[in-house]
Amino acid sequence: MLKKFIGLATLAAAMQSYALSAAADTFVFTAIPDQDETQLVERFGAVEAYLEEQLDVDVRYVPVKSYAAAVSAFRNNQVQLAWFGGLSGVQARRLVPGSEAIAQGAEDPEFQSYVIANTSTGLEPMDELSDDLRDMTFTFGSKGSTSGRLMPEFYLREAYGEAPDEVFSRVGFSGNHTRTVRLVEAGTYQLGAVNFKVWESGVEDGSIDTDKVQVIWETPYYPDYQWTIRGDVNERFGEGFKEKVTQALLNMDDPDLLERFPRSGFIPASNEDYTPIEETAESLGLLN
Amino acid sequence: MRGWASLPLSRSRTARTSIFFVVLALVCLAFSDIAVTTANPWQDLMRFFWGIVTPDFFSSAGLATAVLRTLAFAFVGVTIGSIAGFLLALVYRFRIVRTFSAFIRAIHEIFWALIFLQFFGFHPLTGVLAIAIPYSGIFAKVYSEILDEVDPEPRNLLHSRVGALSAFAYARIPDCWEQLRTYTSYRLECGFRSSAILGFVGLPTLGFYLESAFSQGHYSEAGAVLLLFYALIATIPLWVRPRMLPFYVLAAPFFLGDGMPIVWGNVKRFFTEDIVPAPLREGATGESFWPWLSELLVDQALPGIWNTLLLTQMALVATGVLALLAFPLISRHFGNRLSRTGGHVLLVVARSTPEYILAYILLQLWGPSMLPAVVALALHNGGIIGHLIGRQSSFITLRPDAPRGITRYGYELVPRVYPSFLAFLFYRWEIIMRETAILGILGIYTLGFYVDSAIQNIQFDKAMILILVTALLNIGIDILSRRIRKRLALQTMPTC
Amino acid sequence: MRAPLELDGLSGFFGGQRVLGPLSLTIAPGEKIALVGKSGAGKSTLVRLIHDRVGDMAALVPQELGLVNALPVFHNVFMARLDQHNTLYNLVTLLRPFRADRDAITGILEQLDMADKLWSSAARLSGGQRQRTAIARALFREADLLLADEPVSALDGPLAHAVMGLLRERFDTFVVALHDVELALTYSTRVVGIQGGEIALDAASDSLTAADIRPLYD
Repeated sequence: MLKKFIGLATLAAAMQSYALSAAADTFVFTAIPDQDETQLVERFGAVEAYLEEQLDVDVRYVPVKSYAAAVSAFRNNQVQLAWFGGLSGVQARRLVPGSEAIAQGAEDPEFQSYVIANTSTGLEPMDELSDDLRDMTFTFGSKGSTSGRLMPEFYLREAYGEAPDEVFSRVGFSGNHTRTVRLVEAGTYQLGAVNFKVWESGVEDGSIDTDKVQVIWETPYYPDYQWTIRGDVNERFGEGFKEKVTQALLNMDDPDLLERFPRSGFIPASNEDYTPIEETAESLGLLN
Repeated sequence: MRGWASLPLSRSRTARTSIFFVVLALVCLAFSDIAVTTANPWQDLMRFFWGIVTPDFFSSAGLATAVLRTLAFAFVGVTIGSIAGFLLALVYRFRIVRTFSAFIRAIHEIFWALIFLQFFGFHPLTGVLAIAIPYSGIFAKVYSEILDEVDPEPRNLLHSRVGALSAFAYARIPDCWEQLRTYTSYRLECGFRSSAILGFVGLPTLGFYLESAFSQGHYSEAGAVLLLFYALIATIPLWVRPRMLPFYVLAAPFFLGDGMPIVWGNVKRFFTEDIVPAPLREGATGESFWPWLSELLVDQALPGIWNTLLLTQMALVATGVLALLAFPLISRHFGNRLSRTGGHVLLVVARSTPEYILAYILLQLWGPSMLPAVVALALHNGGIIGHLIGRQSSFITLRPDAPRGITRYGYELVPRVYPSFLAFLFYRWEIIMRETAILGILGIYTLGFYVDSAIQNIQFDKAMILILVTALLNIGIDILSRRIRKRLALQTMPTC
Repeated sequence: MRAPLELDGLSGFFGGQRVLGPLSLTIAPGEKIALVGKSGAGKSTLVRLIHDRVGDMAALVPQELGLVNALPVFHNVFMARLDQHNTLYNLVTLLRPFRADRDAITGILEQLDMADKLWSSAARLSGGQRQRTAIARALFREADLLLADEPVSALDGPLAHAVMGLLRERFDTFVVALHDVELALTYSTRVVGIQGGEIALDAASDSLTAADIRPLYD
């Protein structure tokens, strides 16, 4: 009897929460899972609160497990705004005509990837990728990452004239930047490609052990992360909504909030800024 | 050579088949990539075990919800799957139904989830259908096998005017009810496992937290998730009671959560645009289709198939070896009560942990190669078969003066359980391959790797063709396995 | 059953080999036929063949009885009349039987001395009880013709006589295979002997003695 009662009480509670959460017209955003989830939830939980205050609508952040899931959610209009990488942003905007890149981090027009190596390899920082790297093991980040896969692969191909799996004895995809650093640090892979921002903030807060892993090569600059919004948000959330979101993002000046990205601030962006990324992706067959 | 030919072993079909598979696996081993690539695999393993003994159940507030979602997805998915499967079983004699069922069960739950994610997004329907669809294919096959076993005589004795439903309810169902019930409840347990691993692709079940905790090296949190999962599975007999079942089934839909709204236009777009091969889409000329297809097949499908087959064959034999080594742990002909209890716990843990989770953990600990996958597949499947064979061996009565120890094992027990052992092993062949393909998502270069890559590149046309290839490969193995079982006259009831 | 049943060209095959017939048999209304002969002579085959020809007209008690083991005696008996009700009625009965059916079936079981087993599942019955359940099912069918294959083989002497008496009383016409010569002579009006797949003997029961039948068993 007691069991049944408890069961019914839980059921009632669940139904209630079900009804509440189905509220209409919440502005939903997501982000590519380029780092550890805890960090993402901290960062975007704060953004959620900030946007809700600025925009006067319900705002919800939805975490996803892959870059592609972020693009699909954006395409399927299950999220209206997303913090994309260069490649995922291009993919998303190609799939959703009318969508726009509206803001990027101040550092994003000149973004970089680092090639890192476990110190046991004996490799030292170099200006040109050398043949010493051949036949070592190498990990990218996510398959859909710009700084963790696309650009490093592009420059590796340029330097060696071969696909990475021919240059290296083993090529893996760690999933995200934090994991790439951890795997190279642990020696699971000898080499890895990582987002320079993630690297630098890790070194700064001491979570990376530089006795075990170090940067050996830096890529040239390329454009990367940006906020992309769907073209149809004004119809759904009212005239001028897109502009309001853009302004809110550009005006973000809380150092604590910016620190979590980590960016010094946000500046305007346009779709054209990412043409180089698009061309690179096409040349690697990652875009149709 | 004459000496060989006169050996009794080489004359037995069963022995020849076994030897053939072992040799094949050794050949595969020579071609495969087996290595431990982490610098400190044992240190990581110790940290992991330390995490299990110091579980942290309160780190994440979402854990309770995840348990609820895991159960809800399983209950709803398995319920729908069993109803649909039952209806399919009634018309299973038609070839088209058999082919259809074989096809939907050849595609793994995770692949189904990845497909539905593309147009339903993170909606409960994605998780429910990902379980319900392949399960209905499995239910259709097994239910029809069970129904076919029923004695036809009572049906023959009925008046010819008796309606089909009445005849079915009286003369068919009652005598196989117990079997249908046992199998369905067993499948429910499988459903909990399936539901849990769907978290790895982003659904809000236990796998979601396990993946997060693990990838961040929070072993105590990961330990907590694993222990919760074992507790759920181990206590099934306590809380899944026939009387409570209707209550669970009715309540489950309310615990699925809400996710994000479905946009039906996306569904249409997926089927009319996304999965149409790029060269055939509107505006394209279509002449590049064959080059497109052959490039896909040569560059991705073929290496995927090759690695899938290598891994499957190695895992199959490793499973067999492990099962043969493990069954004495729980057989009443060996050890004492204490050692057998320990054996049971070991096998329960091995078989309750989904291969996918085991492989994921081992990959984190040992680094990427086929080794973690082989070990994971062997542990899980060997645990299941070892359990079944061990239980069966306990029913065997030995003569009072039977030898002890290794002689008892080799001369008295193994020869007697070997046919059913092989039957179980070949039955699981198809299942091992399904899993092998999926493990590609974790970074081993089997078919799942290429499917995942295509999805990551938002190339669903390629993903669908690769999934199709995977399904066909699976159906092929299923047919082959059935032939071999028939040739060796092996019979068995299905397992998970 | 009003007109005589004329059955021609009855033949049975087993593994491609003819094991019975071809033979002809005419069954007149009111006739009580005992089929006798060694085991393996073809009695069971003949009972089956007749059943295949007459179909719904006859109630059949096969040697294997054809009980549904998981169902109680009540439902096993009730199955004889599934055709007389609609599907809903039948399904409801499966869960909760109606009083009228319960009374009718209890009545039949009382005559067979097993009313106390009404709700026992068939799987838990003894061989004799299972046989009587199959007989009860045949009685409940209320057909003109009974076809039975060794229906009392598992019953002890007095009970076997009682049941055969009941069958004689309740069925106008029957064809019953019996290995017990005494029972065959006592309860039939006509004896048909089968030997080597042929009819070797066909005579009125009162013209025969046990000694006339014995050669069939040599």
